[in-house]
Amino acid sequence: MFIRLENVNYTYNLNMPFETVALNNINLEIEKGEFIGLIGHTGCGKTTLIQHLNGLLTPTSGKVYIEGIDICQKGVNLKLIRQKIGLVFQYPENQLFEENIFEEIAFGPRKLGLTEEEIKKRVYEVLEMVDLDVSYTERSPFSLSGGEMRRIAIASILSLKPQMLVLDEPTANLDPQGRSKILSEIKNIHDHYGITILLVSHNMEKIAEMVERLLVMNKGKIILDGSPREIFSRHAEQLIDIGLGLPQVTQCFYELKKRGKSIKEGVLTVEEAEREVLKKIKALANNLQK
Amino acid sequence: MNIFRNISFGQYIPGNSLIHNFDPRVKILGCLLIIINLFLISQFWGFLILGVMVWSGIIISKIHPRFVFRGLRTIIYLILFTMLLHLFMTEGEVIFRIWIFKITKEGLINGLFIASRLFILILTTSLLTLTTSPISLTDGIERLLSYFKFIKLPAHEIAMMMTIALRFIPTLLEETEKIMKAQISRGADFESGNIVNRTKNLIPILVPLFVNAFRRADELAIAMEAKGYRGGEGRTHYRELQIHRKDILFFTIITALAIIVGILF
Repeated sequence: MFIRLENVNYTYNLNMPFETVALNNINLEIEKGEFIGLIGHTGCGKTTLIQHLNGLLTPTSGKVYIEGIDICQKGVNLKLIRQKIGLVFQYPENQLFEENIFEEIAFGPRKLGLTEEEIKKRVYEVLEMVDLDVSYTERSPFSLSGGEMRRIAIASILSLKPQMLVLDEPTANLDPQGRSKILSEIKNIHDHYGITILLVSHNMEKIAEMVERLLVMNKGKIILDGSPREIFSRHAEQLIDIGLGLPQVTQCFYELKKRGKSIKEGVLTVEEAEREVLKKIKALANNLQK
Repeated sequence: MNIFRNISFGQYIPGNSLIHNFDPRVKILGCLLIIINLFLISQFWGFLILGVMVWSGIIISKIHPRFVFRGLRTIIYLILFTMLLHLFMTEGEVIFRIWIFKITKEGLINGLFIASRLFILILTTSLLTLTTSPISLTDGIERLLSYFKFIKLPAHEIAMMMTIALRFIPTLLEETEKIMKAQISRGADFESGNIVNRTKNLIPILVPLFVNAFRRADELAIAMEAKGYRGGEGRTHYRELQIHRKDILFFTIITALAIIVGILF
């Protein structure tokens, strides 16, 4: 077991008039190599939850185990934990500060005390991982476009060689092109480099087709945990109930089903929907011929 | 890791007590009167009466003393330090002596007075900020300053600057926390190392913080212009401040007490 959260509760401003419960009895297990999506409303506790994964927050009560180690204990090397679990915050471009991109990406490795040679190697490696040209190293991070800045920020986490990458809404505020670029890179990082991914997102369509496992949070609780297909077909009603909704095609098929059409439920992508519809049309044509 | 959890000086605790509902102008002036009084009096009874006054204010406001003391915690060393200075540095009738240090009667009295002065000062201002929202506080200051318009005092501009500054303190704190967390996730370490390294470690926080603050200032200026902001001339308020009978009563009592205490002690 890579990560295990046991009865984790977290309350902001404990014992103050503005006390708010952000996490309510979270139990979660994550295996190495998984590709997990996390969806939920703004303020449902997603960001709070992911900050527990690398010890930035410690639970008000409950336990967080990383590779079997309880990271809330005193004397645990949190630096090591944070190197293992790379956390990319929302709008990560707001944390860039170095003169050029080489230094920006080298920040983490330098803190690890690596040799200059090893640092250089890592910088070029991660630049390739996020599909940016080597010529970028000389440029100022502030001269880049929003999407590129974000990829540099992700690269600066990847340069720590984490085993898991946690991304908090990496596509927020990007144009469609930048969005699909980032998402395809994340997919690539998972598929080719074997890094465990936890992706927090509002983008139902993309999440539905990318991830293997989906977590749904509402009001500080994980209410659903399963494959996207399972969740979008079996729990469609619940998702609509809490106002999260479904991916557009899934919604469309769900409505058709509700009107009594015999059609497959839990269709996730447009391609899949296309196949389904063609199948139906063919069957209809066959029937007419007879 | 809630880094700024402990900052409470100047914090507002919402409530619905008598003290919360007084007009901010009256509260500011009352606060000012008590502070002036603190520096006029020179007898123990004066401090006691003022202290009891402020403390009853805290009780009436129904604010948990914990918040008041949390504000004091940062300042307690300053109080102790000044008290010690007075204790040992004042010439006069010696009542106690260890090695080269001597404590004089005058020193003891001065030290205690200075400590009570600072203590009551912090209590008073804490009571003001704990029970008055930043908005009504700056509203009150604006109205009070506008009495000085005849000497060309830009009352509205000063108040607007204060409002914006106050408004952005929590935002900047939140942002600092976020940037710190992000840099910690990238391998930064803010907790160990010598003073040179620690100072160097501030760069990854300060650069993004300033970049964002300037950008935000720019955006705010444009947004204000877009909404037609053009200074205080002829501007009306959503919440008009009104002096009620209880405000007048409160102010009279404070003034009367202040005068009595000031004359007697």
